[in-house]
Parts: sequence; C-alpha cells; structure tokens
Amino acid sequence: MKRNSIILSIVLLLLAAFAWAGWANWEYRKQAAEKRLASAAKAELVADGSGSGDLPHFVSPLMSHPAPDFTLEDLSGKKVSLASYRGKAVLINFWATWCGPCKIETPWLVELRNQYASKGFEILGVSLDDLDPDDKREFAQEKRDIAKFAAQEHMQYPVLIDGASIDKPYGGLDALPTSYFVDRSGKVVATQLGLTSKDDIEGNIHKALGE
Amino acid sequence: MIARSHVAGAVCLGLLGLAITAKSQSPLADTLSRSILHGAAVEYLFPEQVTVPAGKPTPVALHFRIAPGFHINSHKPKEDYLIPTSFSIPETSGVALKDATYPEGTDFALPLDPGTKLSVYTGEFVIQARIVAPRGNHLVEASLHYQACDKNACMPPKAITVPINVIGN
Repeated sequence: MKRNSIILSIVLLLLAAFAWAGWANWEYRKQAAEKRLASAAKAELVADGSGSGDLPHFVSPLMSHPAPDFTLEDLSGKKVSLASYRGKAVLINFWATWCGPCKIETPWLVELRNQYASKGFEILGVSLDDLDPDDKREFAQEKRDIAKFAAQEHMQYPVLIDGASIDKPYGGLDALPTSYFVDRSGKVVATQLGLTSKDDIEGNIHKALGE
Repeated sequence: MIARSHVAGAVCLGLLGLAITAKSQSPLADTLSRSILHGAAVEYLFPEQVTVPAGKPTPVALHFRIAPGFHINSHKPKEDYLIPTSFSIPETSGVALKDATYPEGTDFALPLDPGTKLSVYTGEFVIQARIVAPRGNHLVEASLHYQACDKNACMPPKAITVPINVIGN
C-alpha cells in the first residue's frame, strides 16, 4: 500500500512537471508572438498563397486595444475627433473614390447605420483619396470628387478627408476597404479588410454595441 | 480506493498537461498568415537594355506582369473615378517619351457587382513606348503608375520604377 502511494506520488509529480512545462512553453510562445506582432507595428495584407486573389486575412495589432484617437476635417471643414464619439459604438471605415469594392460596400453601411443609429451606433467614413495641400485648385477638385461620391452613395454619416494622415496608427492601411469596429469604451473589438458581406459587418456592429 | 482516486487524479492531470501542450503548438494560429503580400502588384519584366538610332523616335515594347489574382485599371478606365495605368519618363533622364500606346483593357466585373464592367489588365501586358534618345548611354528610370485591386480589396495607387539602359547610336 505504502509502495503504491509512493509510486503514484512520483507519477503525479512527473505529470505536474509535464503540465507546468506545457504551460510555460505556451506562455513563452504567446509572449514571443505578441512581441512579434507589436514589433511589426502595422497591419498586414496577407494573401492566401494560392494566387487566387482570395480575401486576405487581416492581422491587426490594434485588436482589443484602444482605437488611436484622431481629429480630421469633414467635407464642410468641421473638425471631427474620434474621442467625441466615446460612449457610442463606432465603425471607422477607410475607403477611397477609386476603390471599387468600397463602392459595393457603402450601400450596406448606409443601411446598417440607419438601422442601428438609434442604439448609439455611428460610422465615420474616412477617405484615403490623395489631397495635395500645396495646390489649392487641385485640393478643391479632389474634395469635390469625394463629396460627389458621398452624395451619389447617400453617405449621410460623417465623411472625413485626409485619412492618409492617420494611416500609421491604423496599421498602414495597405488595402481598402478597411474597417475598425470600436465599442462604447473606445476599444477595437473587430476589424475587417476587404469586401466581406453585409452580414459580417452587421455581426461586428453587434460586437461594437456589446450585444 | 485511495489508489484508484490517485490514478484518476493522475490521468486528469496528464490530460491537462497534454491539452496545454497541444495549445502551445499554435497560440496565434487564428491570426497568423500563410504568406504575406508586400510590395508591388506589378513587375517590370524587360527589356533591360535597348539600342536606338540617336535622335530618331523609336518604338520600344515594354513588358510587365501583374501578380496572380490582381488586376489594374487599363489606360482608359470606364469610370472617371478610377485611376488609369500610365507610363512616363522623367524629363531629366535625357531620353524623351514621344508617346505611348497601351493595350486595350479587358472587361472585368467584381463578383458582387456583375453589372459594372471595368476595363482592366491582368497577367502580362505590353506598352509600346516611342522614345527619342541622344547619342550615348542613358540609364533611364522610367515609371509606371497604376492602381491594383483583387476581387475584394484595392491597394493604394503606386508607381514602380522601370529601369532601362538606353543606348543611342
């Protein structure tokens, strides 16, 4: 009996050591991976390697972190900051007039914004169209082009310009459309790169609303 | 009885250890990528060097390749808001671009918007550039400006360098 107890104790000790080693290994690898992501300091467009042009994965270091604050001008010249939307669920949608998939996605966004606005949901449409501040005529024309697109697509939510000035904190914005879903506390709860589906966007709006 | 409970405890602990070890194989499996698309969607293929009669406009066929799965707008996109593909040579290079002839685009529609036809290039394409070079050896850094998309996303407009050694004789 005593001998059995000793053997079982040794077995238990070995298994405990085994479990600890497994846990330590997992922790080490997790920390290494987190460091790698942090050092990358940018989101990445990731193709599937098949050459089929399928939707890339989106690796964003901002996930579960506070969305970087910004202040940009809207089409009327009014300054709009992300911080002023604290308490609301916000979809930051990066787009451009030259982006075909953005043009497909925008009507979905308009519908979803109308559907969820009463629950405290807003969209900030951030244009990445190039703006040349040194050429006033060109600048005005580019702004008119953005306004024309926004009007055609019935974008009744704030449309902000000069999105390129905030591309670094938002991971470089290698491709469009790119969306960040921010919850009421200002934390990024979901991200999307490229055209997905209206259902996917709606699911992420639910996450941002905490539903 | 005690021995049995010890055995059961040992088994549970062992399974826990196995589970943790299995998890350690891929802590970020759901977020890490298979391969990363960086850099340009368009690559200049050839020629690296051309010899042309000095001072005489001469056509040169420039070959490019677009990464699989991507397309770029043709030189004449169907919509004003789309960015055309265009080739240029800097004035400071010593070699002049008289004109360029671009291939016709092929019709392409995004799967979620089959009704909207785009005029695009895919795969390999050739631009016929008519250049004029003075006598001598000129290392020209020409440029191709384009905007690439796949069926779900678009990359910002980009310009790649087209290096050509132009010999005028």
